Amino acid sequence: MSARRAPRWLRVLGALGRVNAAEELQYRANFVASGLGTLFALGTALLTLLLFFRHTVRLGGWGFWEVVVLLGVFTSLSGVVEAVLRPGIGQLAEEVRSGELDLVLARPVDAQAFVSFRRLDLWRLTDVALGLVVAGYALVRLGRPPAPLAVVAFLVALASAGVVVYALWVALMSLAFWFVAVENISVLFDALFEGARYPVTAYPGALRVVFVYLVPIAWTTTVPAAALTGRLGPATALGAAGVGGLALVLARLLWRAALRQYTGGGG
Amino acid sequence: MTALALWARRYGALIRNAWLIDLQYRAAIVLWVLWGVVEPAIALGIWWAIAGAGPVGGYSRADFARYFFALTLVNQLTLAWDSWYLDRWIREGELNFRLARPLHPMHEAIADNLAYKGRTGGTILVLWLLVAALWPTVRLAFDAERWALVGLAVALAAAMRFLISFTTGLLAFWTTRATAIMELHAGVSLFLAGRVAPLALLPPVVAGAAAFLWFPYMLAFPVDLLTGAVQSGGALARGFAGQIVWLLLWLLACRVAWRRGIRRYGAVGG
Repeated sequence: MSARRAPRWLRVLGALGRVNAAEELQYRANFVASGLGTLFALGTALLTLLLFFRHTVRLGGWGFWEVVVLLGVFTSLSGVVEAVLRPGIGQLAEEVRSGELDLVLARPVDAQAFVSFRRLDLWRLTDVALGLVVAGYALVRLGRPPAPLAVVAFLVALASAGVVVYALWVALMSLAFWFVAVENISVLFDALFEGARYPVTAYPGALRVVFVYLVPIAWTTTVPAAALTGRLGPATALGAAGVGGLALVLARLLWRAALRQYTGGGG
Repeated sequence: MTALALWARRYGALIRNAWLIDLQYRAAIVLWVLWGVVEPAIALGIWWAIAGAGPVGGYSRADFARYFFALTLVNQLTLAWDSWYLDRWIREGELNFRLARPLHPMHEAIADNLAYKGRTGGTILVLWLLVAALWPTVRLAFDAERWALVGLAVALAAAMRFLISFTTGLLAFWTTRATAIMELHAGVSLFLAGRVAPLALLPPVVAGAAAFLWFPYMLAFPVDLLTGAVQSGGALARGFAGQIVWLLLWLLACRVAWRRGIRRYGAVGG
């Protein structure tokens, strides 16, 4: 039944990608600025870690290079956020307020999928690669090459992490339908995601429980990094995939409830 | 006396106006306050874990808790968003009608800051008092003389950070990346102003070099004064001297940037 839909989807995605690429390639100076910005952010993050590790040898049981692996994962995921989520679905709160969302809803495609993938800030995708390079370098310094199965577990956990981050954005933007005057609701994500810079084991007990079960920040960086450094067995990947799937379903339900709210309000 | 009354009336109107505008965006402001709380909270969480094995560089867990609570409050009372506003005013021409008013646009910015800080700083203070009621660790001894000094240091720091932000915003007359420069400044201030850790925990060379820049005086000094880490008369005098010298230098920089920028802006706008 989806035989006819799938290719159309690919065509829409491909067209969006081409338009974005053509647009971004006009602004090559932005590539340098965005690259410098990322390097600066990475530099301050590393200096912060060095400062912590001047006074300790372990952070929540993790050694320095293990936390750098995690920092690499954090940088990669931030790249996904800045390249896809913030410029795409992140504009939603403002569009709900101004009513521009009507233009999105009028399109003959799934609204959630369209707002999610309509924009692609190409340059920021290099952050994803940079983060993986940092994680790889830290692994080398760790001197503990991951087993093939651990790499597979990492890739699954990383993909799930991307899904969890995406679900968080969908959930937050859905909230904007109820609290209309909150155009900076994405700050809530930034605040939460700050917590993902360090392994959750470093936080006091209550906060750790929140990060694992309530707002699943632990699954975005700690779990993929732990899978890569061999702290967690490959079976963890199954848990991560489960969390990712669950987050996606919950976010979708919230989105649909929010859309019904919008129709009711705008009618 | 009449001049004073005139300025009081002007500021009364400007602050009232800013307060009412903020009132429309109170949900958004709550989120900004939350954002201001998260960074020190996470730093505290990490130092709390590290200090679990014993004091770090003379700082116990309780010291870290007091330091980061004080930091959150002082940061909220001194932080200035002006470079973002000025960047927009200059790029989108919103500066024009402000220039036409019989009052320097800086007064509007100062009034905005007073209203915003009254609202958000008050929120943080209430939060602190609530937490302190339950958790004695973060309570501070009351000492009228010290608190008066803290008030002065916070006012000087707020004035300096305002001038830094305003002057950096004025760079928008020349570049489209003024806010990026402010971000760089924020990145450096993470370390040199004491946002990630008390300056005493930095490598001594770095902390020593920082003392020659403005960073410690815009945040770390008032914070250390509030927690009681600054005790000796010498440290007190050095701190206030640093604040005053750098405040004057930034005032000078602001005047120069404003004069040159306005001339340039006029030339372009014709």
